[in-house]
Amino acid sequence: MIYGGIDAGSRTIKAVIIDGDSTEIIASGITDQGVKQDSLAEALFNDIAGSDRGKIKRIVATGYGRDALPMADTTITEITCHAHGVHHLAPHARTVIDIGGQDSKVLRLQNDGRVRDFAMNDRCAAGTGRFLEIVADRLGIELDSLGEAAGNATAPSSISTMCVVFAETEIIGLLAAGESPENIVAGVQQSIVGRIATMGGRQIMDPVIFTGGVAMVSGMPEALSSAVGHAVTVVPHPQLTGALGAALLAVDSSDH
Amino acid sequence: MPPKQIALEEWDRLYDQLKATGLSEPSYGGKISRHLTDGDLRLTKLRFDNSIAALNLWNFLLTEEERLANARAEGKKLVGTMKDLGTVPVLAYSLPDLVAFYPDGAWWIPCVMELSAGLLGIADSLGIDESFCPVRAMLGAFVTEAHFPLPDLLTCSVGATCDDFSAIAQRLNGLGNPILWWEIPHRRKPAENERAVVLPGGMTAPGIQVDFVESELERIKKALESLAGQPLSDDMLRDGIARANAIRQRLSELRSLVFKAPVCPLPALELLIAEMLALHYCSDRDASLQVISDLLIETRARVDQGEGFLDAEAARIFWVNPVADLRVMNLVEDCGARICGTEHLFTHALDEIPTDVPPMRALAQMALADPMVGTAADRADRICSDITEFGAEALVLSRIPGASHCALEGGAIADIVAARLDLPVIEIEVAPLNDAYWPSLGTGLRALVETIRQRRGK
Repeated sequence: MIYGGIDAGSRTIKAVIIDGDSTEIIASGITDQGVKQDSLAEALFNDIAGSDRGKIKRIVATGYGRDALPMADTTITEITCHAHGVHHLAPHARTVIDIGGQDSKVLRLQNDGRVRDFAMNDRCAAGTGRFLEIVADRLGIELDSLGEAAGNATAPSSISTMCVVFAETEIIGLLAAGESPENIVAGVQQSIVGRIATMGGRQIMDPVIFTGGVAMVSGMPEALSSAVGHAVTVVPHPQLTGALGAALLAVDSSDH
Repeated sequence: MPPKQIALEEWDRLYDQLKATGLSEPSYGGKISRHLTDGDLRLTKLRFDNSIAALNLWNFLLTEEERLANARAEGKKLVGTMKDLGTVPVLAYSLPDLVAFYPDGAWWIPCVMELSAGLLGIADSLGIDESFCPVRAMLGAFVTEAHFPLPDLLTCSVGATCDDFSAIAQRLNGLGNPILWWEIPHRRKPAENERAVVLPGGMTAPGIQVDFVESELERIKKALESLAGQPLSDDMLRDGIARANAIRQRLSELRSLVFKAPVCPLPALELLIAEMLALHYCSDRDASLQVISDLLIETRARVDQGEGFLDAEAARIFWVNPVADLRVMNLVEDCGARICGTEHLFTHALDEIPTDVPPMRALAQMALADPMVGTAADRADRICSDITEFGAEALVLSRIPGASHCALEGGAIADIVAARLDLPVIEIEVAPLNDAYWPSLGTGLRALVETIRQRRGK
């Protein structure tokens, strides 16, 4: 039997199909989010499943858009799904830091991988990937090159952690004052991880796993590690942990 | 009628049916939807308990402005009591023809009227912006005079109270509204050689602090006597305390029934409204007692019959701090949780006032038991004790934007409860209107319910 998990995030939709017996990933894919997310999700699933589409026994949806996907048999929050996915990939994980396109969260796990408690950003995009997109756009730097740019910084700029809109204004001011783009990028990275460290508080426990699309931006794992004061590990395919967790929970919740 | 949560339109239909079968109503009765004409737009987005007791609760709450206007027209004296939460009204209602109310209660108007009254905008224009607690709506209400008549006497406790509230009240004073200030000190533990007094709730304070608060309350008493034109005897105050305690006893029984019943017998929203009555009586102490008594009878009947909302598997959540957006109480239930314990920053107003000491002394002891004048650790102690008593499985700390107590105490309470009881604890923020954050709030609460269910399975 095969099972599916779909993570309808604010910026991208991620899908994973797994074998129910071995829990190995059979297929996975990512597509940009859009207005008709149910159609986008369906197309993504059809694309990665191919001829196996009809054999998928159960689908669990998670993420911001989880309630808008009729293809799903049930929905589970991204908190639970990320914890499940990370525990599968890194069974000893005790803290999960997920920085996605428009939200971020810190999960503390018990020894058995279940969620102990969590914190979410509930106000502004300042601690999320959206901040990186804005700065990349403003500075004319490709998202993939931000890490390299930050690596060349000589003195990271001090950027507001309170609000992305204010921070963008700050960036314009810094550029006008002659600050180097490299220093600004490094400052933005520090701003994001600083906000995450505040959100996580004093409760961050080792081992710390970093997931979400922002984990793939070079320089961010190092910056995060420095901010939280713990070593940080990025799991393979960090964007997919939510969808993987959803697929695993599809197995658990079926009469498999 | 089996318990059910229904929308406003359904209540209208039910009301017509009840009227056709001879519904007997109090003077403030009627369809809940009639309050839409007052601008209470949020009512269309809430779900209500379908009992007659709940109908009376809502109508009682939503007619307070009329009661205050009528009291003024009848020549009664209005006392605006600010910040003390539960103390000065006991004094005021012990005198004839005094009606006390909390202008602070205006903090819910921006939610209930969906900002249409413009109260927050007025506060902004007076320099009290969104960095302050939503109680700043009170300033707008004083300016417009559209929600309550200007009181004949305004009192406000200061000292160990919210910094932001003190600032708001000082701004109000600066606008030309005279305020009789009285001081409440930060409650501390008695030193070794000091005389200790046990307060309601079990905490202790130095006798010298109780003496001081009693002397402050004596000043308030004199002002009230002057307003009423007659002295307040100990017997009158004892009677006032007995009546306050009658409400507190019923409320305590109601809370215990709701929090401990196998199936939740009363929605979180109606319980929140009922708990607030312990503070302010909605400007009619006797009617307040009747409303709570009826709610208690209805709830007890449901518990006896095993009826209620959700199912016995609903996640049991302890809730700290009142929400500025009432819809969140409905959301909790949508997410599969029920409220099993609350600490809304006024537990001292839910505990009975001592009757074994002179009445002014008793009020002073009660005032010093206020959670807001002690430490976060004191609050956490009470929360831990109540969580254990009510069998809650998780804690939600609901922050009020701008409210200094929420910002400063949430983390400390979270750490203590998590360490002592090993429960999941989350913090959320609830502004007067949360439409933009609704999906995020829902995800947080649903995830907490999932976490609780997973912990049950371990």
